[in-house]
Amino acid sequence: MTGDNTQYGLLEMSAVREMANIGLGHATTALSNLTGRSFNMEIPKVETVCIEKVPDMVGNPEDVCVGIMMPIEGDVTGHIAFVFPWDSAQSIWRSLLGTCPETVGDIDELAASAMLEIGNILNSSFMNALSNMTDLKIHATPPVVSVDICYAVTTSVVAEAELNEVVALAIETRIFDMEDVETRGYFLCIPTVDGLDLMLRRLGVAEAA
Amino acid sequence: MPTATAVMVGMGDIHVAKGDAAYNCLGLGSCIGLVLFDPTTQVSGMIHVMLPETFPGRPVDKVGKYADVGVPELVRQMTAIGAVSSRLLAAYAGGAQVFKFGAGVESKLDVGARNTIAVTEQIKKLGCKVLATDTGGNCGRTVSVTIGDGNVRVRTVNNGDKLLCNLRG
Repeated sequence: MTGDNTQYGLLEMSAVREMANIGLGHATTALSNLTGRSFNMEIPKVETVCIEKVPDMVGNPEDVCVGIMMPIEGDVTGHIAFVFPWDSAQSIWRSLLGTCPETVGDIDELAASAMLEIGNILNSSFMNALSNMTDLKIHATPPVVSVDICYAVTTSVVAEAELNEVVALAIETRIFDMEDVETRGYFLCIPTVDGLDLMLRRLGVAEAA
Repeated sequence: MPTATAVMVGMGDIHVAKGDAAYNCLGLGSCIGLVLFDPTTQVSGMIHVMLPETFPGRPVDKVGKYADVGVPELVRQMTAIGAVSSRLLAAYAGGAQVFKFGAGVESKLDVGARNTIAVTEQIKKLGCKVLATDTGGNCGRTVSVTIGDGNVRVRTVNNGDKLLCNLRG
């Protein structure tokens, strides 16, 4: 959707932020448990952005990154994705596998499945938190992983989201590693208009006109 | 020698020019970058298509996002500044499936393939001569076009930079 998020007011946006904060809190805890490193558990920066600006936010468009995407199904539909810059992905691989691919061409089945697992754990913990909060059935479907230039990964996520549904907005957050500031990630949540409205109603936030 | 400063053709953008020009389409994943060129009038144009077709009942927010309305609009803008559609030469790249790891990716995700089909259909309908294409696969592509020397180059993470075709060849 083009333009700003005029269909949602301040109250709705703060509810969206709160949902993202809680969901991401669960996801970062899961990531910490998995990697044995402590990630920033403070309220993450949450930005709600127009969907077409997503590819520009994540970083230098031609830098290599790792993207993990999965569609959301259930009462609420949409797409969620985590995007890690290449160096951050390497640091995650090192903490999980003790080693990491040096170049994109070095990614083997083990490295790829480690990222799929990261995606599973991050996304399902995020979805469970949202599901508990709203008492709605929301589940993540099996993830897919891409390692490519940032712009190609993020535009593909956006195209996939827009192809299937009318999307509301993208919720962007950043995760920082407490010990190693170089490890960072971006989380994108792209719910459909219907899905987001339903969640807002469940939270008691009046639907925007 | 190419002298024009490259125009960045972002998602859903359409750019046209007469005379010397240069275009960059960064990081095409499932998106497609299409360049058209009329050698006689030196009119060129590029579009960065994101989706195969407009959706019934949904407003068209940006014409250039959709192959079915975007490609004809590119041609319309080019003919408006002198191009003749029957003379147009075409080259396009993109339509990849960058999410290559995971269960059942082939069946689940097909925007790239659908974009390729949609652009190919439009090009056929318009009767443009296709010089070269580089579509499908699992690699994100960056397309650089320099009208001055006619070169259309494609860059990928795995295969580096290669010449796709020459619009003046």
